[in-house]
Amino acid sequence: MLDGRLSLTTPEGVRLSLTPAGPGARALAWLVDGVIWVVCLWIMLVIMGMLGKVGQSLILIWVFLANWGYPVICEVYFGGRTIGKRVAGIRVLRSDGLPVGWRESGIRNLLMVVDFMPVVYLTGLISMIYDDQFRRLGDIVARTQVVYVEKPPARTVLPKAAPLPLPFPLTPEEQRVLVDLFERERALPPGRLAELGSIAHELTGLYDGESLERMRSYVAGLVQ
Amino acid sequence: MKQSQFEAEHAELWREIDAIIAGASLQTEELPAYYRRLCQCLALALQRGYSPTLTDYLQRMAFDCHSRIYGAVVERPMRLRAWLNVELPRRVRQEWRLLLVITLAFWGVALLCGLLVWWKPYLAYSFMSAGELSTMHQMYQPGAVNIGRGGADGDFAMFGFYIWNNVSIDFRTFASGLLAGIPALLSVMFNGVNGGVVAGWLSLDPATRGTFWPFVVTHSSFEIYGLMLSGVAGMRLGLVLIKPGRLSRRHALFAAGRRMFPVIVGAALLTFIAAFFEAFWSANTAVPEVVKYSVAACCWTGLTAYFIFAGRGAGPGADGANDAEGRDAA
Repeated sequence: MLDGRLSLTTPEGVRLSLTPAGPGARALAWLVDGVIWVVCLWIMLVIMGMLGKVGQSLILIWVFLANWGYPVICEVYFGGRTIGKRVAGIRVLRSDGLPVGWRESGIRNLLMVVDFMPVVYLTGLISMIYDDQFRRLGDIVARTQVVYVEKPPARTVLPKAAPLPLPFPLTPEEQRVLVDLFERERALPPGRLAELGSIAHELTGLYDGESLERMRSYVAGLVQ
Repeated sequence: MKQSQFEAEHAELWREIDAIIAGASLQTEELPAYYRRLCQCLALALQRGYSPTLTDYLQRMAFDCHSRIYGAVVERPMRLRAWLNVELPRRVRQEWRLLLVITLAFWGVALLCGLLVWWKPYLAYSFMSAGELSTMHQMYQPGAVNIGRGGADGDFAMFGFYIWNNVSIDFRTFASGLLAGIPALLSVMFNGVNGGVVAGWLSLDPATRGTFWPFVVTHSSFEIYGLMLSGVAGMRLGLVLIKPGRLSRRHALFAAGRRMFPVIVGAALLTFIAAFFEAFWSANTAVPEVVKYSVAACCWTGLTAYFIFAGRGAGPGADGANDAEGRDAA
């Protein structure tokens, strides 16, 4: 497909589509996690500074867990998202669309070391640029995929109008386009709507606003 | 059928599914049946050209159901035990050639460096700076309050350092192996050089010889096995990239990652154990040397026996199918 979405077919014959997340969103997620890490480390240093040598040891254990454990635990137990990924609106999935497990998450996060080399994720970036699904090396080995979390679309109620039958049959795809227009009506400027009305002259035999109102009636006839 | 009729007819079903997904409903055992009906709704909605918001809504719901149904983890009691008893030693034995290479890389290099330093002590200075060597020497002076560390720090204080430093070395060794296996091998060799030179240097002086060996002999069993396992796992990843066999590189990497995951987890586990020993046992001067040496002997033989004998003839492991897949890939 042209839009770069991944399409997965389930055993039930349903197609699920996922949108791979690119370097931008992932860099944002990483930055947010990094800032959280620095802030937490600073707090830990202040608290543990009071505990002397034992505190130092606890800090190192904490650094270990924060570095290697935090992403894995977040991905396995919190829907494939660290706090940074939550902010960036992305999540990690297996490339078959299912939630990641310990193995996938563990491997992809261990291999972050390689993706980070030689500086700030250069290898990972190059890998993402060459891969058509924006996967870094860790993702390729673990077979995971970072995708956008799509918000459930708000179901709009179509404006009421007197229903009219279509002058000639439309294909389902064409009907869909027509209904889509009125579902997105509020987001479109009036001038553009009038223009679209004129474009639909062949269907309605009218121009501008009148044509638009006629189409509204057709849509009402299709839906109601 | 008009869209509004369709929506009215199935609204009940969609509400039920929404409730189950949101965790508000307890009828989860109904989900598969609901899901099949939902799939039918979606197919109809798409085929009849219903509006995009409706089909998007149904698609989203189908995705949630799919993750919920197929993403459910099968209860596998004793998973970890099966891993440790069967899979880890088996995978390590499967990679015996790499293990041999890594063993030579570590022990060969360590022995060579140790003997070189023993034979011509001044050679130690070409591996480490004079400052480092004298710090080492002081750390293992019999008079030092706590042998093997800078000063009178508590055992726990060093524990955090061992965990962070040593386990991270394992992980980095594994990950860097992806680059054609060479970095993993170099990492193991580098640690071999380090260990060999330090051991050789400290063995020269009878005073430090008597403190150094009882200190390292126990925990090194776990630590060196851990390092070698991460080296094996890392090299396997890199070699598969060079020679993927009958699979595509991506598939081969995936299969190798899957196969090596128990090994790297085992390596981390061993290094954790090593950190415990190193922090709380090795530096304990109250324990007589004889006890330390006997415990060390038990650890070394135990671990070696574990990797040779564990998991033999116990039938297929918890995921035996993967084993077969792995062998094909190799």
